[in-house]
Amino acid sequence: MKNIIIIAVFFCGFITQIEAQKYITKNGKIEIFSETPLFVIDGVNKKVASILNAANGNVVASTLIRSFRFEEALVEEHFNENYLEPHKYPKAIFKGKIIDFDKVNLKKDGTYNIKIAGKLTIHGQTRDIEEPGKIIIKNGKISAITQFNVSLKEYKVKIEKNYKKAIKDNILLKIHFDYKFYK
Amino acid sequence: MKKLLLIFLSFYFLYSTPIFAQDDLLDILDSEVVEEPEIVTATFKSTRIINGHSIERMVKRQLDFRINHRFGQLNEGGYSIFGLDNALINFSFDYGINDWLMIGIRRGTNKKVYDACLKFSLLRQIRGVKVMPIALSYYTDWSLKTLRGLYDLPDMHNAKWKEITPRFAYTHQLLIARKFNEKFSLQISPTYVHRNLANKGEKNDIFAFGFGGRYKFIRRVALTWEVFYTNHVTKDNAYQYPLALGFDIETGGHVFQLFFTNSRAMVEDGFIGETTSNWLDGGIFFGFNMSRVFAVGIGKHKE
Repeated sequence: MKNIIIIAVFFCGFITQIEAQKYITKNGKIEIFSETPLFVIDGVNKKVASILNAANGNVVASTLIRSFRFEEALVEEHFNENYLEPHKYPKAIFKGKIIDFDKVNLKKDGTYNIKIAGKLTIHGQTRDIEEPGKIIIKNGKISAITQFNVSLKEYKVKIEKNYKKAIKDNILLKIHFDYKFYK
Repeated sequence: MKKLLLIFLSFYFLYSTPIFAQDDLLDILDSEVVEEPEIVTATFKSTRIINGHSIERMVKRQLDFRINHRFGQLNEGGYSIFGLDNALINFSFDYGINDWLMIGIRRGTNKKVYDACLKFSLLRQIRGVKVMPIALSYYTDWSLKTLRGLYDLPDMHNAKWKEITPRFAYTHQLLIARKFNEKFSLQISPTYVHRNLANKGEKNDIFAFGFGGRYKFIRRVALTWEVFYTNHVTKDNAYQYPLALGFDIETGGHVFQLFFTNSRAMVEDGFIGETTSNWLDGGIFFGFNMSRVFAVGIGKHKE
């Protein structure tokens, strides 16, 4: 009987080990890009934090809006002061899941096309998104890549009439996370 | 047997609960990410409050080209359309060597003055996990008046060097500012001006205390004001405290500053030391600054 208990306890422990496999990054990258004949917006944020739970494909990511850097100081100032308003909404947050995470084999190098779904919060507005992405496994390391457009209108980032020609409503986000083993 | 089952189940639940919800993941993230102090930016919209310099500098590799105008006095009347016929112009280039040091050169019509300035940041205002309530910068300016016949000085182009030195004036300023919130910022600027040559009966040294601020009442538009109290103004002379009121209007690429002031000079030793017009008898000049910032030597996202 004792043996059964030992085996059972052992077995439970084994399950937890699988389930607690989490991966983290604190310097994930988001690039934002918009181009019109009048104006190019090209910024990067290299301080994005994210955790991936390899047991179920759950993903969260969060970053400070103020961490975006632009080549032109003026663009950075406008981005913060006039549009994203980090004094009111300091963070952008994603909570979601890699829907088809089962098909990713963490032990085998390769590129897996996946789908990410969840809730994206920008400028205090939360929207459901579902976008394609890629998981790349290389030497046991996990990278997640995705790129998609967000509509400024949807997140209530107001562009004045005079600037609508200079700034597109759809802004391209390119996201790249290189995860490290957490625990 | 039942007991064993119970033990087994309790172990089972104890161990297997952590199928982490996304909120728990977010909590882990928050505890893992070290919060960084936030350096306060955009205390003022441009490098000038109105006449005087603000705490703001050009950051690294950014060049600010400014064209500043002061029109004639409003009380000149309709004949010279309330001063608009007589514009003085002043253009300047200010460049950020790095994120805490800015240099600038300037040329102004008034007394044909050339000047060079330097401004560096000693303290930045910081919010968040670390706090620094104020920002502090040091500003200095050297100006040279090149107008012929000024104070009966010899013509600069024929004079020896030591005959030119009376044409110099120097300004030293501490700029102390605080951005109280997104709308409201204040600055005090203790100022020392030394003129190598002063008018008869005047001191070469002037002390002044600048008090300026802005209130950004809607997006892209702010109300600005600035006054300098100075020991230069006494009952016995005609000098006045320079006072200016205006608006900062920011468009996509430019900052326009529209304002009224009683000083026509645009260099520190000029508007602090030579202001004689009085707001109360219409001695007001309309002024207009235009600033355009360029990124020089574009690299790719250097931090």
